[in-house]
Amino acid sequence: MLSVTNAVKTFGRDTPDEVRALQGVNLDIEPGSFVIVIGTNGSGKSTTLNAVAGTFLLDEGRIVIDGHDITRWPEHKRASLIGRVFQNPFSGTAPNMSIAENLALAARRGQPRGLGWALNASMMDDMRARVSTLNMRLENRLDQLIGSLSGGQRQALTLLMATWQKPKLLLLDEHTAALDPKSADLVVRLSDEIIARDGLTALMVTHSMAQAVTFGDRLIMMHRGQVLHDFKGAEKRRLRVDDLIARFEEVRRSDQLDETAAEMLQRMYV
Amino acid sequence: MLLLVGALTIGLILALLALGVFISFRIFEFPDITADGSITLGAAVAAVMLVAGSDPLVATAAAFGAGAVAGATTGVIHTRFGINKLLSGILVMTALYSINLHIMGRSNVPVLDEATVASSAERAAASLAGGPILPVFGWEVSARDAGLLIVALVAAVVVAVLLYVFLRTNVGTAMQAAGDNAQMIRALGVNVENMIIMGLALSNGLIALSGALLTQYQGFADIQMGIGMVVWGLASIIIGEALVGTRQLGFLITGAVMGSVLFRLLVAIALRGGLDPNDLKLITAAFVFAALVLPGLLRNTAERARRGRGKPAAEAKAVSQ
Repeated sequence: MLSVTNAVKTFGRDTPDEVRALQGVNLDIEPGSFVIVIGTNGSGKSTTLNAVAGTFLLDEGRIVIDGHDITRWPEHKRASLIGRVFQNPFSGTAPNMSIAENLALAARRGQPRGLGWALNASMMDDMRARVSTLNMRLENRLDQLIGSLSGGQRQALTLLMATWQKPKLLLLDEHTAALDPKSADLVVRLSDEIIARDGLTALMVTHSMAQAVTFGDRLIMMHRGQVLHDFKGAEKRRLRVDDLIARFEEVRRSDQLDETAAEMLQRMYV
Repeated sequence: MLLLVGALTIGLILALLALGVFISFRIFEFPDITADGSITLGAAVAAVMLVAGSDPLVATAAAFGAGAVAGATTGVIHTRFGINKLLSGILVMTALYSINLHIMGRSNVPVLDEATVASSAERAAASLAGGPILPVFGWEVSARDAGLLIVALVAAVVVAVLLYVFLRTNVGTAMQAAGDNAQMIRALGVNVENMIIMGLALSNGLIALSGALLTQYQGFADIQMGIGMVVWGLASIIIGEALVGTRQLGFLITGAVMGSVLFRLLVAIALRGGLDPNDLKLITAAFVFAALVLPGLLRNTAERARRGRGKPAAEAKAVSQ
């Protein structure tokens, strides 16, 4: 469904702030697979998601979704294939518009928008039905401005919006990181339910080791702009939090080794 | 009475300006100074076409089109070339000064002797009333003034309703969302840059329309008539928001129209009361400044008073259920 080939991205090239964010990422994701992405800070996990979503264009490499080579597509065009939920619960909804208007905007994701009414009676019924599945008692408050809702409610609605039309690929970028534990739990469970129900292909970046081992059928660990480990099938199911922490520790030690080795070389030769 | 009718008419004509500024300032948070140039552009295009003998409605529609092109230019400069919003507007406004002079050929074009929307309105009102003077509640109002007031009222109401309807359509809600949360609407497949260009075109089209009607009302187009108009529109919106007191779209649009009329009435009364017309723009600017700053200032004072009473004011923007 998604194939990323040798993705390379450097921000601020030839400046003191140069960041080599992606250094040859390769990724092949089967249709219907729910992939968890973890990694240290700056490992390129969010950058990979943003590259797929089209927030920026790659320096090198290729991205293909469902047979479409989207490498040069602008962000808004990719929206016809991709549903997204952001880390910031305020990023995914328009605060000064009503819940119904936000949902109506999402219902036309990737479709041309003409002069038809944004809201109509049959659509409102559909909205009430779908919003009631969130169990947040929002179905009778569809006229309320989204800005008045809590972060958890907004994130749940964003999730509903991203999957309103079944996307070829769902991108969840640490979408529970800014929520309180209870809301985070609720939103991640809801994500899992929707992905399973609609058989979606999904990529979820997370910082929570518990989420990483509980959810998904494949786990990718990134480090320094590359895919370091890739656990699938039975191997993924056997993973425990301790195993992941051990892997992170390994990465940390090898980094330290690199640094001391570099220092040693510096002392000897400079 | 004459004062009242005049103030109402100008207020309603400038309500179109207020609606245009509402689109740029409130929907896109785009401080679009193009308005100062595009209102004159609308006036210039309409005046020159009227002098050349065009149908008044055609001339007025052409003014809308010219304003839309000016607004789209500002949008393109901002979105395609990445130039700061304010500067994009300033560039187009400055360029429009020369363009307007070229269109008019001189700095002032009278249209008093031409067939205009105003003269049509005058004829219609006179034939309805059976004479050039209409008795209204005991006052004598000229057919010209009465006809113009009705034309201005119809124009303001029709434009306000059309704008409301447009903003409730699929493309209209996408436009609102582009101003409210660009990241979100981009992720839903909308080209935000095109929405900004389209929005500014619509905004400046309405502003130019306002200029065209103003020209036909006052009987001339003048190269200086646009100065400070964007602040005038902003003042109308702020008054309108205070009048309606909600964030709902329909109320905000109605408020902008009412705000424009009320503001013009206040100005007429102040001028009647002996205000030096030269001070008008200074006072308008001071008013807008105060209206923008005071709410925040009052909130801070209230906050401090609350904290003074020992209540913790730090309610973190909690991300919770």
